[in-house]
Amino acid sequence: MLKVKAGDLDRMGLLFERHYKPLFGFLYRMTADRESSEDMVQNVFLRMLKYRHTFKGNGEFRTWMYHLARNVLNDHHKGNKRHAAPLAQEPGDVADEAPENTMEEQVHLLNRALNKLSDENREILVLSRYQELAYREIAQILDISEANVRVRIHRAMVQLKSAYLKLAD
Amino acid sequence: MEKIIDYINGELPEHEKRAFEERLALDPELRAACEEEKALWNLMAEIKAPAVNEHIKSRFLDTLQVYKEAAAPRPGFLSRLKEIWNFQPQLKLSYALVLLCVGLGTGLYLNRKNHGEIARMSAEVSEMKQMMVLSLIENPSATERIRAVSMTQEIRNVDDTVIEALLSTLNRDPNDNVRLMTLEALTELADNPKVREGLVQSIVLQTSPIMQSAMADVMLKLQEKRSVKPLQKMLNRDDLNSTVKDKVEQTIQEILI
Repeated sequence: MLKVKAGDLDRMGLLFERHYKPLFGFLYRMTADRESSEDMVQNVFLRMLKYRHTFKGNGEFRTWMYHLARNVLNDHHKGNKRHAAPLAQEPGDVADEAPENTMEEQVHLLNRALNKLSDENREILVLSRYQELAYREIAQILDISEANVRVRIHRAMVQLKSAYLKLAD
Repeated sequence: MEKIIDYINGELPEHEKRAFEERLALDPELRAACEEEKALWNLMAEIKAPAVNEHIKSRFLDTLQVYKEAAAPRPGFLSRLKEIWNFQPQLKLSYALVLLCVGLGTGLYLNRKNHGEIARMSAEVSEMKQMMVLSLIENPSATERIRAVSMTQEIRNVDDTVIEALLSTLNRDPNDNVRLMTLEALTELADNPKVREGLVQSIVLQTSPIMQSAMADVMLKLQEKRSVKPLQKMLNRDDLNSTVKDKVEQTIQEILI
């Protein structure tokens, strides 16, 4: 990224190649909207080009990328009130139609439970579980302390379990 | 209980992890809670996101290309000048300038040298002509002596030796034509005081009417007042031609006016 910052814009193609899949995963899990998530991936990388001078170089590229992604996500939410879409739910997939297979049923219920979480709780679980970021990185992205990350993850897990058990009953 | 998820995530510091594992080994309730949380954590991994559409990669690369073209800095006036300068083959230009300077320098040097050479040659020719004048003026042939006299008109700086030779010819040459030519040549040199003096002194020495008349004309032309006395002296001569006498008298009057 430092090379991009220095004017080597061709390097941005390489960064895109390396990071677009996990970035899409994050955006999709936060919106459950495939098309919008693809658009937002483009927007995040265009913002990187536009604001490349703000990349300090002392932090990790990944945290900077998710920081920009959250801003893009906020803009998306402002323009689209339907942001509380179900997590990883394909169009036409009706939430109430539970699969017959036990494992699939469990996954389906857990998905619904995740969708019931607040954006804040869902986001911290997505960053930790799906984006596999360390607490230190999450703390940087959310601009909070690591201790706060611990508390929030624990709280989010408690709520997820509760929501899941309610749905399973 | 809070530490269960941190333990599963591998986010516990080493000493806390060891303490937690010790508690885990001793506490079946904690162990059950941990297993439950771990099962939920693992189940979460089963919620898959759809595969991303590969076309977004080419779409971004196209956008990047457009961005690069749009973001390319337009060259300013100074940078354009710089580009032009950089484009010029500087080495060749310097080489051409050096050649030009060498050419001009050589030309100037040769020109000055030539000027010196020409001046020197001119002086030599002048000197040779003077020598020829001095040599020819002694020639027995009147034609050669006339040639010698007319040659003095080609000499830029006539020196005293030539002037003396001309004055001598004016006073002593037996041929009227030679003396007439000499008078004409000396009149051209009348700016020289020595020539003027010689001409005035020559008046009384002229015996031929044609020369006496010519001397009167020259004195009138030069408006030489010092010639009045010699001219009056000429009037006293018994052998003076009457026509010449009238002319000299008239000349004296005109000079004195």
